[in-house]
Amino acid sequence: MSPLTLGALYGAVTLVVMFSGMPIAFALGIVATSFMYFFMPATSLDTVTQNVYEEMASITLLSIPLFILKGAAIGKSPAGKDLYSAIHTWLHKVPGGLGIANVVACALFAAMAGSSPATCSAIGSAGIPEMRRRGYSPGFAAGIIAAGGTLGILLPPSITMILYAVAAEQSLGRLFLAGVGPGVLLVFLFAGYAVYRARKEYRMALAVFNQTGVESAYLEKEHFTLAQKVEMLPRVLPFIILLIGVMVALYGGFATPSETAGLGALLAMALIAIVYGVWRPKDLRPILTSTVKESTMLLLIIGMSLLYSYVMSYLHISQSAAQWVVDMHLSKWVLLAVILTMVIVFGFFLPPVSIILMTAPIILPPLKAAGFDLIWFGIVMTVVMEMGLIHPPVGLNIFVIKNIAPDIPLKDVIRGVMPFVALMFLAVLLLCLFPGISTGLPTMIMGAK
Amino acid sequence: MSHGFELEPAKGPAIPDNKFVAGISWALDKFNMILMNLSLLALVLTACVLTYSVVSRYFFNVPTDWQDEASVFMLVGVTFFCTAYVQSFRGHIGIEALSSLLPARVNAFRMLLVDVLSFLFCLFFSWKSWTLWHEAFVDGQTTTSTFAPPLWIPYGMMAFGMSLLTLQIFIQVLARVTNASPTKSHDRGEI
Repeated sequence: MSPLTLGALYGAVTLVVMFSGMPIAFALGIVATSFMYFFMPATSLDTVTQNVYEEMASITLLSIPLFILKGAAIGKSPAGKDLYSAIHTWLHKVPGGLGIANVVACALFAAMAGSSPATCSAIGSAGIPEMRRRGYSPGFAAGIIAAGGTLGILLPPSITMILYAVAAEQSLGRLFLAGVGPGVLLVFLFAGYAVYRARKEYRMALAVFNQTGVESAYLEKEHFTLAQKVEMLPRVLPFIILLIGVMVALYGGFATPSETAGLGALLAMALIAIVYGVWRPKDLRPILTSTVKESTMLLLIIGMSLLYSYVMSYLHISQSAAQWVVDMHLSKWVLLAVILTMVIVFGFFLPPVSIILMTAPIILPPLKAAGFDLIWFGIVMTVVMEMGLIHPPVGLNIFVIKNIAPDIPLKDVIRGVMPFVALMFLAVLLLCLFPGISTGLPTMIMGAK
Repeated sequence: MSHGFELEPAKGPAIPDNKFVAGISWALDKFNMILMNLSLLALVLTACVLTYSVVSRYFFNVPTDWQDEASVFMLVGVTFFCTAYVQSFRGHIGIEALSSLLPARVNAFRMLLVDVLSFLFCLFFSWKSWTLWHEAFVDGQTTTSTFAPPLWIPYGMMAFGMSLLTLQIFIQVLARVTNASPTKSHDRGEI
């Protein structure tokens, strides 16, 4: 059997086993060991566990639980609400400032917590009621939060990027930096749309008022004194310092990424203890438990995905598939479009972790051969996977929004996020046209590759 | 990836109808909780170890050579010690697209088949893990670093954790077979 035929069989069997409803980790392990049994030397089965252990025993991969701990500590504290309130008091005079405040709060919180759903929940639980109280349409308010939350996997430190760095054998520090430019670009695009839409809704509210005399909450003026604004800062500044401190530790050469993860987790726990009094075992237990549950599930998938990739490589499936794609002589942009479409389709039923680890051996060599910078591609792929967080059928953030604002109909939430999906698509186009948006900062700080 | 965020807390393990199976399940849940508590401590300890290595290197000029491997060992322990706990409430995510499309009886058979296959895979993995542990223990294998800790420690944790996971799935299979209602089970994690 040729490697390509074997590859088609491998893919088909994987889909069947996964769609049976088997946990992804076990499904990948079963498919990999079955193919080892049928198509590899008998002794290879003796190395299954050693392969899984050796792939997992990477200090970079094992920093994931610590980044999750840092995110969970901040995510389960009232830091999100305070951050949102502080930015709102400072931006309320800007036209559409409430929308901008939500986008900026989401970006900052995402950078601190590194989690999309946690960002949606933390900022949205304060932001959505406030936006609706101020007259914003429910779908628009939900859309801002759902989209803002997606920045969690783009702004550093991002767990998705850790996995990509391992799979693509790229510098994690460079990849983290490459996410900053596109993250800021998305913040501007989201904030710009928020201003446009808020002004449109304001004009509609004004027209209704002029015709009927009914005053919408949009038309009410809000005022905060300087004392009120200053009062908000002490609760927020420590977290901003944590955000900056972690980056300085990483890029100032003080700590490796895994040490940064440990340091960040410990500092986050210290901050919530000092600022919010979250230090008792009963307070910390939910944070630690959710971290361990998430990490265990994720690391088992990672371990089995790496075994799955090893089998693909041993049987020359990934090499042959990559060569087959190269031999098609597609233009580089058609190749990119095909691969990104594949990522979107996979995103309908697979989590980013599996998409990255299962597809990297096949898609990265042709992309490299076509002249694409793999750091740049990692960022584009992340933005595309971000879209999967807010578009059906999976759209994890949509379900988080439904959880915190159950009275907003699902169709309104979906309608509300669609303009943001379009903006993300625009961001991908801009990244293709101006790759420096992503690669400029790492080149400036770390030098050319 | 939800990164430590849960839409709603896990419901906890399902209680089997059969008294004998329920008894074993109860004992395993208690043991899982002990391992879970140990893992929580190991997680915090790992964060402390990595922070200590940064502080020790930059403030006291005393570099450490053991922190990475100690952290890897502890986090490997956390991962494998808690995998049975996560399975107890079906926290390992899978694609459940078919569950709403199939008739109840066919769906019940599908879930049983999935559990049996998962059990067989974990049984095989546990067996191979113990073999690996035995080799490392007998041969005195160590890592290649200067610190060179023995490899039977992480291999042992992997073997123990996977054996516990195998037992957990076996109990879930028994529960499926002996439960009055064939579909009684908490939903597994969906994506």
